[in-house]
Amino acid sequence: MTRRAVPILIVTLFALIVLPLTAQAQGDRLVVSLSSDPTSLFLPRAADRTATNASLPLYDSLVWINDELEVEPALAERWEISEDGTEYVFHLRRGVMFHNGEPFTAASVVATWESGSDASNDYANFYTVANLVEAIDDHTVRITTPEPSATFLTTLAISWGMVPPAYIAEVGIDAFARAPVGTGPFRLVSRASGERILMQANPGYWRTGYPKVSELEFRVIPDASTRLAAVQTGEVHIANRLTPDQAMTLDRVPGVKVVSYLNDRAYYVGFKNVGAGAGTPLEDPRVRQALNYGSDRFGIIAAIFAGQAEPIPGFVIQGNLGYDADAMPPFPYDPERARELLTEAGYPDGFEISMGCPADGYVNINEVCLALQRTLAGIGVEVNVEFRTTNSFWSQPQYGAVGAMFVDSWSSTIGEALPRLDGALMPGNYYAAWEDERFARLIDEIGVTVDRDARAELYRQMHELMRDEPPFIYLYQPTIFEAVSERVQGYAPRAAEEYYLFRVSLD
Amino acid sequence: MLRFAVRRVLESALLMLGVLVLVFFLVRLTGDPVSLIIPMDAPPAQREAFREIMGLNEPLAVQFWGFMSGAVRGDLGTSLRRRGEANLDIVLGRLPATVQLALAALAFAVVVAVPLGLAAGMRPGSAIDRVARGVGLAGQTIPSFWLGMLLIVLFAVTLRWLPSFGRDGLASLVLPAVALGFAGMGQLVRLTRSAVLDVRRADYVRTAQAKGVDALRVSLRHVLPNVAIPIVSVLGIQFTYLLGGSVYIEVVFAWPGLGSLLENAIRDADFPLIQAITVFFSLFAIAIHLLTDLAYSALDPRLRHG
Repeated sequence: MTRRAVPILIVTLFALIVLPLTAQAQGDRLVVSLSSDPTSLFLPRAADRTATNASLPLYDSLVWINDELEVEPALAERWEISEDGTEYVFHLRRGVMFHNGEPFTAASVVATWESGSDASNDYANFYTVANLVEAIDDHTVRITTPEPSATFLTTLAISWGMVPPAYIAEVGIDAFARAPVGTGPFRLVSRASGERILMQANPGYWRTGYPKVSELEFRVIPDASTRLAAVQTGEVHIANRLTPDQAMTLDRVPGVKVVSYLNDRAYYVGFKNVGAGAGTPLEDPRVRQALNYGSDRFGIIAAIFAGQAEPIPGFVIQGNLGYDADAMPPFPYDPERARELLTEAGYPDGFEISMGCPADGYVNINEVCLALQRTLAGIGVEVNVEFRTTNSFWSQPQYGAVGAMFVDSWSSTIGEALPRLDGALMPGNYYAAWEDERFARLIDEIGVTVDRDARAELYRQMHELMRDEPPFIYLYQPTIFEAVSERVQGYAPRAAEEYYLFRVSLD
Repeated sequence: MLRFAVRRVLESALLMLGVLVLVFFLVRLTGDPVSLIIPMDAPPAQREAFREIMGLNEPLAVQFWGFMSGAVRGDLGTSLRRRGEANLDIVLGRLPATVQLALAALAFAVVVAVPLGLAAGMRPGSAIDRVARGVGLAGQTIPSFWLGMLLIVLFAVTLRWLPSFGRDGLASLVLPAVALGFAGMGQLVRLTRSAVLDVRRADYVRTAQAKGVDALRVSLRHVLPNVAIPIVSVLGIQFTYLLGGSVYIEVVFAWPGLGSLLENAIRDADFPLIQAITVFFSLFAIAIHLLTDLAYSALDPRLRHG
């Protein structure tokens, strides 16, 4: 038996393996990998960048942010803003149809606002920024905000994907989220949970000449090394969220190019002057400066991120409005200066302090926390690192679950530092654990300054203030690595990890 | 027999109840899902409104009662992330992929292990025996997710024979099934081999050989039926391991089954969905053990009296 059965077995297995050959991503279908299964394709519930990127091709908003970060017309052809900056009147593009045949009118804007503001949505706050949306006539709509808002148009552009009023009223939000309909460059064909989302070009798309491919497919591939393999075999055209090591292995792979860009996400150590931080040495600005001088952010970037991250000077970082590389150098690593400042502040021998860390909450964050502990020991500050699960780390207001300092990061999707400044420093916000009236006043002013140049100037002032009396230890912003097939043209992801796939074509 | 069956069914139900209680409380020890769902810069009022709508403000006892009474009626609640979708529907949608993968892995393990173990056991010390022992050792020591990555690099990236991920027809089933079934195969090879070693010296085997029956016939007609009993008995247990072990393999191969769903649900802190998946996994394990027990006792009367 042995002599005959084994070869037969081997041949059978071999035939099983060789018969069905691999399917390459075919023809005019753009295939993009996703690192997780999107929670929803309804923008107010699209939990993260992955879900947002899978949703964006279905929708359009009234305005669009171009590559220079300027606001451009989209479904609104033009608009006027009232003198006091709280009333926007949009004149809507005519002849635009939703994928289900409903016409796009002022009623769609009202329905978008109403459905988006629903308390069951993750991002209701992006819609409740408007307190009234009224249809003046079929093609004119007025949106009112409680006060002038620097970021209203940007928020409108990135999150108000227009929805068809009759359809959403008929089926409700939950059902709409399962079978979403927009005016966007692609319409949803099918979705298989945990597996794929298939879309087809919208033939009547109002941007003539777009989209550039006839089909768009998202494939869910949770493991980064599998995404790397899939782009090498040609099964996907865009593989995102790779590690620097993985990207480097692609150097000699034909047909694949590496795309990398700095992420608009600031990593930092937060100080608390409330809760466990009150009454600690952190209340002295010289101590906070010393901790900035005493943290070797350069060493952390070199050792933990293989050099693939940039040190940040504050919360206004590369790619943000108001950032100025020459005028905003990061804190140098200067332990001598740190010790001097500590001595001036009355702590010549340093002190002991606790620091919370969201275990595995971000790439390499555990190593970063331990590296901070070592680097600060160099200036006599003994840091007790408290690792917490991510859920418990973020589960209490003002980081109540952890000690006097904490490690966290804050992204921005609008090309400005305002969301992180507001979130981390405005008293009353859930994660604001450093309270200082001067910061709050300036952030308020930025929020209501509609003029871009004036706002850029205020960001610079904010930066100075946050450098002299730092509420944080500023660490780094990471580089994002993606592998893209050489067939892909016109792919230009943005710092917020945001894709506009209607411009992408395949050779 | 009936009394034994009733007792085992009741015990299984009690065990299931214990699992439900554990799952409910353990998942809540990990913290507050709302803080992960509502964006960091949202106003506190929004956070509260969301908590209210999702019923997360209810006292734990009330939530627990809702979960348990629902579970008993076959209602596993709705997902926290995929709002409005019944967990049961989500889970049932993913179940076929997991069962398919587990069956394929089991089939791979049996198809490779039994002939190999049989051949090795019939000729201890031969080349084929050394191969079998090597395979057995490898199966039991190589981690499945690592093997999965190696298979992808070799068969998908280098040779381009098979897809590297996904569930597109039978071709995409091969690599994950091999990776998942490899450990079980190793165990089966060793088990078959040692069982064959035991029976190959039995009188009836020697008689058959003395009669001049050829070697293949001796193996298939006289040895195999007698080693089938221990093999079949471990298959049931293996199947439950395969269902559980599929979490890693499904993630590595982007296989859209319960395992990758569980990984995603844990990352999303989707408590109700995590509960629903765990209920399914435990239901499977318990049901298979129950069936195995009942089958044994039907075959072997000593068990139900012992």
